[in-house]
Amino acid sequence: MSSFLKIALRNLLKGPSTDPYPFGETFVPKGLRGKIKYNAKACIACGMCEHVCAGGAIQIKETADKSGLEFIVWHNTCAFCGLCEHYCPTKAIRLTEDFHTAHSQEDKYRYVERGFIKYVTCARCATPMVPIAPELMTLAYGQVNKDIEKLRHLCPKCRQKQSLR
Amino acid sequence: MSTFTIPVGPLHVALEEPMYFKVEVEGETVVSLDITAGHVHRGMELLAMNRNFYQNITLTERLCSLCSNSHPCTYCMALEKIAGIQVPERGEYLRVIADEIKRMGSNLFNAGILAHIIGFESLFMHAMEIREIVQDIKETIYGNRMNLAANCIGGVRYDLTTEKVKYITKQLECLKKSLDELYDIYTKNKFVRARTEGVGVLPKEAAIHYGVVGPVARGSGIDYDVRKKSPYAAYDRLKFDVPVEEGCDVRARVMVRLREIFEAIKIVEQCLKDLPHGPTCIDYLPEIPAGEAVAKSEAPRGELIYYLRTNGTDTPERLKWRVPTYMNWEALHVMMPGNKVSDIPLIINSIDPCISCTER
Ligand code: SF4
Ligand code: SF4
Repeated sequence: MSSFLKIALRNLLKGPSTDPYPFGETFVPKGLRGKIKYNAKACIACGMCEHVCAGGAIQIKETADKSGLEFIVWHNTCAFCGLCEHYCPTKAIRLTEDFHTAHSQEDKYRYVERGFIKYVTCARCATPMVPIAPELMTLAYGQVNKDIEKLRHLCPKCRQKQSLR
Repeated sequence: MSTFTIPVGPLHVALEEPMYFKVEVEGETVVSLDITAGHVHRGMELLAMNRNFYQNITLTERLCSLCSNSHPCTYCMALEKIAGIQVPERGEYLRVIADEIKRMGSNLFNAGILAHIIGFESLFMHAMEIREIVQDIKETIYGNRMNLAANCIGGVRYDLTTEKVKYITKQLECLKKSLDELYDIYTKNKFVRARTEGVGVLPKEAAIHYGVVGPVARGSGIDYDVRKKSPYAAYDRLKFDVPVEEGCDVRARVMVRLREIFEAIKIVEQCLKDLPHGPTCIDYLPEIPAGEAVAKSEAPRGELIYYLRTNGTDTPERLKWRVPTYMNWEALHVMMPGNKVSDIPLIINSIDPCISCTER
């Protein structure tokens, strides 16, 4: 028994080992898997994140006026697994260190992260298309020179034609 | 003396999960019991068949929170067998590290709950505080205190920098010191001994007969550990002992668990020292052909078996688990009779039942 008394006494002298949160600071390590942040500029709408999401928290849909794609992550079904971030080729979707997820019931369905990808038109044939993110260009070509940069403004069909020329 | 039947559960203060026991007692002594399961059934086998291979990594991780790394790891191993994927060596070591860190946390939790059940609350708090060291490792390295999300098809999705290796080493040093003390108390303290020695005895023959696994088997003198008998990941390249106790009682099982933590520390330290360079995961999206495979691993509670059948599509045709608690809780029929009513929660805790794995 004496050995435990020693520990108990030591712990008593040490004071509380819990954090005083929310009245004080708490330990948040870098890399904590918290709320999702989405960057529409880097997204290429490949749909991989939607595909791997077990909770079905991610939805990518064309807007009613067909002007682009709407992207939503419903925080309430997100399990913070980070699979979307892992499989996103351009890292357009990321988990932040923000773990504050308390919200009122009334905000339940508004508790989402949104993004909008506006279609651009092909420089040659004017078909609407998802803009090609610079992140994807670097991924595909490494160094992006002027010629390659031109390809960015073409739809897949015109791009193919251009490349075959 | 007259006999009574008393219900324990499905919700009971000392049972952390819903489980219903109909216990027949004579005076204060248990004569027999009836176990009724099925209170937290979530239909996860069907869910798994409705989700693609990627989504199931996350789903299997949510089967249960204490063995939450063993599940996706074993699931991925089954997939990798079917698709003939070779996990990069660094990935294999990183898998072992994640598994052993989870084992430390899980075993400490069980040992802590034991103290709580026998009414030694300050020891319970102390064990949980020591466990915080492990929880901090999980949070810092993996980004979550329970679900590590370490595994993906073909490897792991986290990496260790030199800085992180240093951090883990520092934490483990700290853990070792506290653990020595804790082990000392569990071995010597007369209250702990009085409540655990000779309680819930499962003789070796009965243990073999019931096919129990994990610390329950090893507490009854059976030297069986999947990590040794059919090594997976990097276990065949690591040196460690499998703690075995001959006591066959509650005490023997908690001793096995505590000693396993020391071994787990040894294993992680070796992994950190020998960590090979290179990728942690395959760098392509694999095709999963039709086929079937069985994969098994040593979860903190014992041997975990996954059966997976695929048909060439991107969803499993069948995914079936055999979790350690199945065999272990049947053995309660042997452990319980002859013990006092007040020991019921203690004996149940000693098999470290994972109801959420078993009923999913
Ligand atoms: S966020 Fe990433 S994975 Fe999701 S659609 Fe955009 S580019 Fe693809
Ligand atoms: S973290 Fe997991 S659950 Fe959340 S949106 Fe990404 S894939 Fe879905």
